[in-house]
Amino acid sequence: MPFELSHELKAAHERDSLARQDFVSSLRGYILNDMAAGMKARFEDEVEPALVRSLGRAVQSQDEVHAAMRKDTYFKFYSSVRYNAQEMVWRAVIPGVEAALPDLSRQIDRLSSHGGGSLSLNPDLDIPENVAGLDVHLMPGGYANTETAAAGAVYDNGLAVFSAGFMGPNLDDIGLSMSNYVKRRFPDFHPARILDCGCTVGHNAAAWAQTFPDAEVHGIDVSASVLRYAHGRAQSLGLPVHYHQMDATDLAFEDASFDVIFTSMFLHELSLKDIKAFFVEAHRVLRPGGLLINMELPPNQELEPYDQFYLDWDCYYNKEPFYRAFRDQNPEDLIVAGGFARSDYFRFTVPQFSFTDEDAFIAAVNAPPSFDGETGRLSASLNWFGFGGWKAKI
Amino acid sequence: MDSAAPRLPVDAEGRRPAFFAEDGVDQLVTMVLELATELWVLRERVFVIEAVADRHGLPLKAEVETYAISEAERAKLEGMRVTMMGQLFRTLNRDHRPVDADGKA
Ligand SMILES: C[S@@+](CC[C@H](N)C(=O)[O-])C[C@H]1O[C@@H](n2cnc3c(N)ncnc32)[C@H](O)[C@@H]1O
Repeated sequence: MPFELSHELKAAHERDSLARQDFVSSLRGYILNDMAAGMKARFEDEVEPALVRSLGRAVQSQDEVHAAMRKDTYFKFYSSVRYNAQEMVWRAVIPGVEAALPDLSRQIDRLSSHGGGSLSLNPDLDIPENVAGLDVHLMPGGYANTETAAAGAVYDNGLAVFSAGFMGPNLDDIGLSMSNYVKRRFPDFHPARILDCGCTVGHNAAAWAQTFPDAEVHGIDVSASVLRYAHGRAQSLGLPVHYHQMDATDLAFEDASFDVIFTSMFLHELSLKDIKAFFVEAHRVLRPGGLLINMELPPNQELEPYDQFYLDWDCYYNKEPFYRAFRDQNPEDLIVAGGFARSDYFRFTVPQFSFTDEDAFIAAVNAPPSFDGETGRLSASLNWFGFGGWKAKI
Repeated sequence: MDSAAPRLPVDAEGRRPAFFAEDGVDQLVTMVLELATELWVLRERVFVIEAVADRHGLPLKAEVETYAISEAERAKLEGMRVTMMGQLFRTLNRDHRPVDADGKA
């Protein structure tokens, strides 16, 4: 079941739309748990043995898995139903967002004067092609950098349905899990300035503000539409976050001006070239002794061929063209290329902060990372993957 | 809805992938899912209606059985059915050339 959004910008959907949202959310829950398990069993019981017979050896790559699964009826229905469910997520929320739009700007203006956050837009910013030219994850209109907060509203309302409850009541479980990972794992580290890059509706940036109430928290994105919404949303929740329209590959912040640079589900929407440019920028704006921390999908090198194939479904069928190229990288090499020392790289997995009790969370934070088919994907026993590095002290 | 409200796109740009070799099967899946959604919408609404009626002590179920639908209501229901058909068959109006695993035509 989706959680209802709990801030003032939430759209008032009609009853039938709410029922459609409930339905598609449950449908996604069913696809991601039940059908996913059924499909894996199908692979193990039938597709893999046949494949091994024809190859005369063990399966080695996700491409072999993909090619074989594409002929399988279970995969066809799984994919077709999942693709439809993705479309239905957006279709179920857009009418309510559309109806709410005339009031949305007024609401944001009103909220803008209540609270400690801010919004700075840059109308001259060049919007990169991965945002301007793509309806990423089939979101109609994409992150459209428009005059209204529409794209932000569609994203937020859509995410509430899409996440099928897996992202917690405020959709910010990733931000809460990552920030609390830092707080529990590095208790002597007290960040004063935190930056979330590619923050979209700012929900995870706001989570950092909650975890580190004494820190100054900033979020950047290239889309003005999502930032307008992010600003109103954070103000409504009483979390003082500063949102800026900026390109992560060309940050307008001074050298050595942040203690934490955070991203979540961001890198896989960038080209490799932009990822590399971003890490150089992240290294530049971090203070010596500062922390780069990225929540992402786990890299393919950590996973079995079937699990690689399962996660990269989005690259082929969900308009995520950069997804696999990112997941095929070794994250350690990526940040080293950005200027971080290899010895300062770290990676981890962490359970969901919103649904894990304190002791279990602390135990997990201090345990070595564990990878399996559930890592980084929405499912009932999910854990998040993260990696990052410390900028060398001088 | 406010008629002056700006319209948002509801379809993502680009072609939909085909998972089934047989022409039309992918669209059929969409039709079935749209149908299932609308069926659910209705069941949820009926559930709520019965609960509300119950709260007010109305013998709703019994009256529903004997209710006579008027001409005007019939016309309204027809309009609602046409809208529902539009949803059900929405994929037929979209470009549907197959796309291979690399997302290329
Ligand atoms: C998948 S969303 C990130 C989601 C968000 N961080 C979360 O945790 O849910 C990717 C975001 O990155 C933004 N984006 C893409 N390229 C960017 C760039 N070069 N600089 C800054 N933001 C960018 C997009 O506008 C979009 O809002």
